[in-house]
Amino acid sequence: MRTRVSSRTPPRRFPCGRVLSGCLMVSSALILFSACEKAGPPSSADKSQATAAAPGSSTPAAVTTKSGIEMISLPGGEFSMGSDHGNPDEAPAHKVRVSPFLIDKYEVTHAMWAKVQLPDPSHWQDNPKGPVERVRWRDAKGYCNERSLAEGLKPCYNEKTPDWDCDYAATGYRLPTEAEWEYACRGATEDSFDFGSADKLRQYAWYGEDAEQKTHPGGQKKPNGFGIYDLYGNVSEWCEDVYSATFYKESPALDPVGPPNPGKDTKRVIRGGSWKSSADQCRVSARQGERTGDTDACFSTDFCGFRCVRRASPDDVRQLMGTPKAGS
Amino acid sequence: MRCSSALFVCLLGSALSAAHAQGSFRERLKDSGFKIAHETYVDDNWEIFVMDADGSHPVNLTKTPKENEHYPQISPDGTKIAFSVDLGEGREAVRSLYVMDIDGSHRKKLVDNAREPFWSPDSKTIGFLPQEFPKFNVIDFYTKGMSFYDLATGKIEPHVNSAKLHHLYNPSWARNGRWIVSTVHAGMGVDHGILLIEAHGTNIFNLHIPGCRPCLSPDGKQIAWGAGDHEIAAAPINLEADHPVVSEWTLRVKDGTNKIYHVDWSPDSRFLGFSRGPDGEGDLTKPGTFQAACEIVGVHAAGWNLCAVPADRHGVLDLNSPDETDLLVLTTNGNSNKEPAWFKPGH
Repeated sequence: MRTRVSSRTPPRRFPCGRVLSGCLMVSSALILFSACEKAGPPSSADKSQATAAAPGSSTPAAVTTKSGIEMISLPGGEFSMGSDHGNPDEAPAHKVRVSPFLIDKYEVTHAMWAKVQLPDPSHWQDNPKGPVERVRWRDAKGYCNERSLAEGLKPCYNEKTPDWDCDYAATGYRLPTEAEWEYACRGATEDSFDFGSADKLRQYAWYGEDAEQKTHPGGQKKPNGFGIYDLYGNVSEWCEDVYSATFYKESPALDPVGPPNPGKDTKRVIRGGSWKSSADQCRVSARQGERTGDTDACFSTDFCGFRCVRRASPDDVRQLMGTPKAGS
Repeated sequence: MRCSSALFVCLLGSALSAAHAQGSFRERLKDSGFKIAHETYVDDNWEIFVMDADGSHPVNLTKTPKENEHYPQISPDGTKIAFSVDLGEGREAVRSLYVMDIDGSHRKKLVDNAREPFWSPDSKTIGFLPQEFPKFNVIDFYTKGMSFYDLATGKIEPHVNSAKLHHLYNPSWARNGRWIVSTVHAGMGVDHGILLIEAHGTNIFNLHIPGCRPCLSPDGKQIAWGAGDHEIAAAPINLEADHPVVSEWTLRVKDGTNKIYHVDWSPDSRFLGFSRGPDGEGDLTKPGTFQAACEIVGVHAAGWNLCAVPADRHGVLDLNSPDETDLLVLTTNGNSNKEPAWFKPGH
């Protein structure tokens, strides 16, 4: 049922057979998590190898959740966040360290949304593998909680607080922090794109130049170096953080979660380009703040989708590596 | 001093004039003999109240501390009220449809997991929108299909085109019985729109008017709807045509400060009632409420009150104009008063 990898330089699955892979994955996951303290994300030089999760390396690993959703287990580590050469809100470039986490391999699709029984607000619903859009920030968080409950995980969001406060220690799904999103997108590169220059963007993203003014089913373009699809385009993605143009000047270095809610005219961060973005807006460090739409009954921001992340222990990852994919 | 005195006299005159005009409109409403049902949040609970058309003599019809009643819809003959009831909290809540007599007696549950009832013109059938999935969600367009409850037999029949009706909300049945007008959001291939749906057929027309929550007038000649968060519009519509269209807008009620929603026609099509209040996203400290845009059923709307204006006025009616006299605020307690439904008792 899941979107399959396109013929364009697909990230390789684990090269070993199932029995062998089972053994190797365990050791791989253990090493992956022990290595994250000393090793950052893989370099951008060998992207197609990154998702092969070679045992003994600190590369990411592909896992499948209990409900059959494919995610990428990222080792975490230190990276350079932001840019001194982009828009003012991207500066200064600063070192940030993020803890290991899992992130959806694809943007949340119509099929995933319907599976947890939520009303799909999207403008384009013609393909179940297309990304949901016109999703309010809180509705995206609602999806995270529903998915957590469906998998027996502890929901991260307290639905009884006005902002649906996030318990980052909970086992369930949540929106990525802005730092996690950028780490997942840029890998080790300090450039504008993890794959090199903007002239290759068409290979990686549905954006203003090639999307024909609409979204597309996920996974049709090349993934980034971690094996994650559509980070650069298709729909922009909600993050947990409050948007502040000056936050990078004061951001903590370890697992930043953004500034506190100012309580008025709050915007939340959205990251990544969309079907209507310019190439410049698709850069790994490009930031946007968007109103959450919570008081708008007809939220119509049709370039706004999301993907989920969650914490996972090495034991969790070992288990998930053996979970069959949806439809398989 | 003379200038000040002149100004005072001028202001006093204007205030008296406004008060007189206000009184006139109030008198028109009072003399109409109409009543208005509505939902309101009192004592940590949603209830359905009925009051006179000028806002006087409010009566709590439901008085159910553990059940949350919303969205009253009065039968065209003025004898019954269809409404929705929420039981439970959060994702465990269940929304059901009920009907009762106009005085609150003979309350009867019709169906679970359904919402947004609307009456056939002969008052014999209650249309409703089944919930899209079994799990509760407060969002207004969380519906799939359309069904009809026959009051005489208790039978439920789907609309002939029910399988293709998706994400409708706020339906209203035309007096001639031929059409049902409804909002659609992210469904049926429509981004957002107001549709005219053949009541017993498969024709569907997009009326191509912006906004939501349409209401057809009892005289069968007009439509009113929320043209935006801060505007209610009214216009003629030729519902006897095979392909009805909305003519030039005749009235635009505007409020640059507050949201205005839930327009409803008086039985003689001469007045419009609506809800009005500040933007908000609910208050989760209040039992039986949800978090979403505050105009949505089940979301607490702090400071919201009901208002009435004349429907026979043309042009723009600015609710914030100090000179505006064709406005009567019917409730003043701000207790999340929403979803007005006019009726003529015993009619």
